[in-house]
Amino acid sequence: MATVSFQQASRIYPKSERPAVDSLDLQIADGEFLVLVGPSGCGKSTSLRMLAGLEEVDSGSIVIGDRDVTDSPPKERDIAMVFQNYALYPHMTVEENMGFALKLAGISKDERATRVREAAKILDLSDYLSRRPKALSGGQRQRVAMGRAIVRNPQVFLMDEPLSNLDAKLRVQTRTQIAALQRRLGTTTVYVTHDQVEAMTMGDRVAVLKDGVLQQCDTPGVLYDRPANVFVAGFIGSPAMNLVTGDAVDGGVQVGSAVLPVPRDQLTRAAASNGKVTVGFRPEAVRLTGPGEGLPVRVNVVEQLGSDAFLYTSLADAPDDVLHSADLVVRTEPRTPVASGQQLWLGTDHGALHVFDAQTQQRVD
Amino acid sequence: MATLAIPATDTGRDTPPAAPATRRRGHRGGSKAGKPGPVTYTLLTLVALVSIFPLYWTLVAGSHTNAEIAATPPPFLPNASLFDNFRAALDQAPIGKAIINSVLVSGSITVGTVLFCTLAGFAFAKLQFRGKGLLLSLVIGTMMVPTQLAVIPLFMMIAELQWVNQLQAVILPTLVSAFGVFFMRQYLISALPNELLEAGRVDGASTFRIFWSIVVPVARPAMAVLAMLTFLTAWNEFFWPLIALTTANPTVQVALAGLGSGYVPQRSVIMAGTLLGTLPVLIVFTILGKQIVGGIMQGAVKG
Amino acid sequence: MTIASGTVREAAIAAPPPAPAATSPARPRKRRQLTRNRWGYAYVAPFFLVFAAFSLYPFMYTAWVSLHETSLSNINGGTWVGLDNYRNLLQSEFFWNAARNTLTIGILATVPQLCMALGLAHLLNYKLRGRTFFRTVMLMPYATSIAAATLVFSQLFGREYGLINTMLEAVGLQAIDWEAGTVSSQVAIAVIVTWRWTGYNALIYLAAMQSIPGELYEAAEIDGASKWKQFLHVTIPSLRPTILFTIVVSTIGAVQLFGEPLLFAGNGTTSGGSSGQYQTLGLLMYQQGWSNFHIGQAATTAWAMFMIILVIVGVNAVIGRLRARADR
Repeated sequence: MATVSFQQASRIYPKSERPAVDSLDLQIADGEFLVLVGPSGCGKSTSLRMLAGLEEVDSGSIVIGDRDVTDSPPKERDIAMVFQNYALYPHMTVEENMGFALKLAGISKDERATRVREAAKILDLSDYLSRRPKALSGGQRQRVAMGRAIVRNPQVFLMDEPLSNLDAKLRVQTRTQIAALQRRLGTTTVYVTHDQVEAMTMGDRVAVLKDGVLQQCDTPGVLYDRPANVFVAGFIGSPAMNLVTGDAVDGGVQVGSAVLPVPRDQLTRAAASNGKVTVGFRPEAVRLTGPGEGLPVRVNVVEQLGSDAFLYTSLADAPDDVLHSADLVVRTEPRTPVASGQQLWLGTDHGALHVFDAQTQQRVD
Repeated sequence: MATLAIPATDTGRDTPPAAPATRRRGHRGGSKAGKPGPVTYTLLTLVALVSIFPLYWTLVAGSHTNAEIAATPPPFLPNASLFDNFRAALDQAPIGKAIINSVLVSGSITVGTVLFCTLAGFAFAKLQFRGKGLLLSLVIGTMMVPTQLAVIPLFMMIAELQWVNQLQAVILPTLVSAFGVFFMRQYLISALPNELLEAGRVDGASTFRIFWSIVVPVARPAMAVLAMLTFLTAWNEFFWPLIALTTANPTVQVALAGLGSGYVPQRSVIMAGTLLGTLPVLIVFTILGKQIVGGIMQGAVKG
Repeated sequence: MTIASGTVREAAIAAPPPAPAATSPARPRKRRQLTRNRWGYAYVAPFFLVFAAFSLYPFMYTAWVSLHETSLSNINGGTWVGLDNYRNLLQSEFFWNAARNTLTIGILATVPQLCMALGLAHLLNYKLRGRTFFRTVMLMPYATSIAAATLVFSQLFGREYGLINTMLEAVGLQAIDWEAGTVSSQVAIAVIVTWRWTGYNALIYLAAMQSIPGELYEAAEIDGASKWKQFLHVTIPSLRPTILFTIVVSTIGAVQLFGEPLLFAGNGTTSGGSSGQYQTLGLLMYQQGWSNFHIGQAATTAWAMFMIILVIVGVNAVIGRLRARADR
């Protein structure tokens, strides 16, 4: 068990201008489950591979426990990794796959067998120990990859999108199992995914990356409730937060013909850069109001999910100078009698508005 | 330890292991062109007969006396004189010794080629090092250089080393092959995922251990194909052995060349000798033919 | 079991650990890069050691020798003659004869061979009974050595008792003195080459044919193309890179033709027939070096062969590129 710390760690690929990972600072506590999340190419996998020793660190350093491992090869880092495609050795049985690292570490045959069997039991793989990976289903292979990591009892688990090759249903099942397993073993874990739902459900804390830069690292609750900037606000949550940009006017932000109310003090600071303000509100923070009250929108599509319904709408009177990044999404009670084409008026809950400086994209409280 | 209840219900639902691409291809190709008619079978049988007939004729001619083959019409079935002719051929040329030599030479070349080409092919496929592209184009470029371009200095070299008529003179220069490196590289690029090597590194394997415990097992099918092709090529190698060896210590091909250049050509004895020298590869081919065919076709697609 | 979501988790959230004493961020990282580099060299080293000693060095040395007047018995010495050997070669009727023969035998051996291989591959591509048998049998000639094949065929083509002449006479035609005639001897040699390589090339084409997606044929079928049109407009275009590849490989082989003309007469002479009617460049080079002991001259011929190959490969590369561009 150990803490992990990235200190100003950067990775610049040869022949590339922009760093893949740019001065990453991240402290991970002993036993913590930290998720790195972001769109593809954001540097999350590179960060993980830097921690694994598979990718060089061009500047800055990486510390595991109290050891600076920046220049150590993977085998000296006491880490175990679960790969996206599992990377099971095709010519070895499940047992040999799981015991390979122990064998290399010079652990006796009996000890190896004991530990592999124990891990196999946890992962419900006991019946498959003599099979080759080819003879296993995708879910079983995934568990072998997990087993290979846990038999080593390492200081840190590294997981690189370990669920992305499973089908949707199995993925949901497995993600709770992995989270539970990690809590039980108490091993510090760094987990990479592009799926924000996975990140929110699994992580103690979630680090959001974009273009190699850390945007925000906090608990799922804080990320959701107080996103640090426009990117995090739009990335976390499904459907995404509604974000509209407009001019700061007296009493709020002008969106089309309506004004979204923002407290004066907040508004002043948010408009400081260029007079424009980005406001965000989540689909569930929207109420349907009476005619003429709030934002006038036209319904494009109604999505009935059973437990809720989502209305995909656009501003009914959007003049060209109103920038809105996407349609406005509204969550309503299921079976709300709303049809596409219908005009509605939206009001936002008090205090549910997230306010960002439109220029710097940073949150203003 | 309590068991974490992971239901094993996923077996059927998620994607089954993907079949290797080559197998799918074989299946698709077989069914694509539809059912052949009798014309197709007739033509193919004809080609098959033409392919086999010269070899069969070797047996027929080699098992008769000279006078018997000269008869009109000539015989078309094997006869009893085969072993007499074998004996005569063995008297005229050291074919027994030649076969042993050829086994030694081809065996050594095969082992060396497969080993060195797997090492180099792996490096070219998966490792990063300066000058890699240049070295690889050098390897590919030499595939088109004729043997003739090397034999003069090679002959001088082995003369200097007093290796003329020694087996190492024909083993060493052929110990590696540019084709082999290219073949192994192409195979490993697609068959060996980078993640597997990284898993090895994370598991604590040394570079050599990764090669031995991960790369070689993955490369084994291609190594087998390369071994068969190399053995065949080495066994049939003609030009350089003819220069480096004499009939006193020949490989099979050199012995056959000697057999053919006798002053009083005895056709049946020559044919019996040819049969003796060809028999080993034909036997190997009968056993491994399917694999060799598969290997050539696989190599063709990769190349 | 209970999920221990307790202490560790909350502790972690409450207080991210303080950063350990920061280490200098701007340290040189070249070291590890180099060690990883070195492993690559270690893996290619055995290959390149042998390769350099027995291939690269000889190639270069042959160029050096070709600029000298020297013989096998005079291995280290020899007189510098500059480009004289090349001049002599270009003025030598033996060279031009061999070059002409190599060209004609090359055409006789490769063109029918590749056409037949293509047709054969098409036949093998059907859903055949005994598929493996046919493929294996057609590869048997490839497994037969040049020496063995030539010895057998020189018997079959024999003037007096050769089976081919016997059959020609049986159907009322005249026996041919295959070895003596220019055309007949070259045809006979081309037959040996064709016999040995047709099946091999057919397998290469077959492999390429099988990698053509079946949907292409289905689309053509729906468009109403006959089987022959499908072969012409789907198979052949998809095979173009492979065809180009086999042309290059076969031509390189044809330029080096040596064993067949050496053993065809059955007496091991290096002159390629009494009047050099089937003398090839490969055989000429051997004759110059190992019968006439003119090593410098032989080296020159070897380099000439290499040049010819370079031109052929170059022309093919240009054709390939032009076609590829035309396709775009």
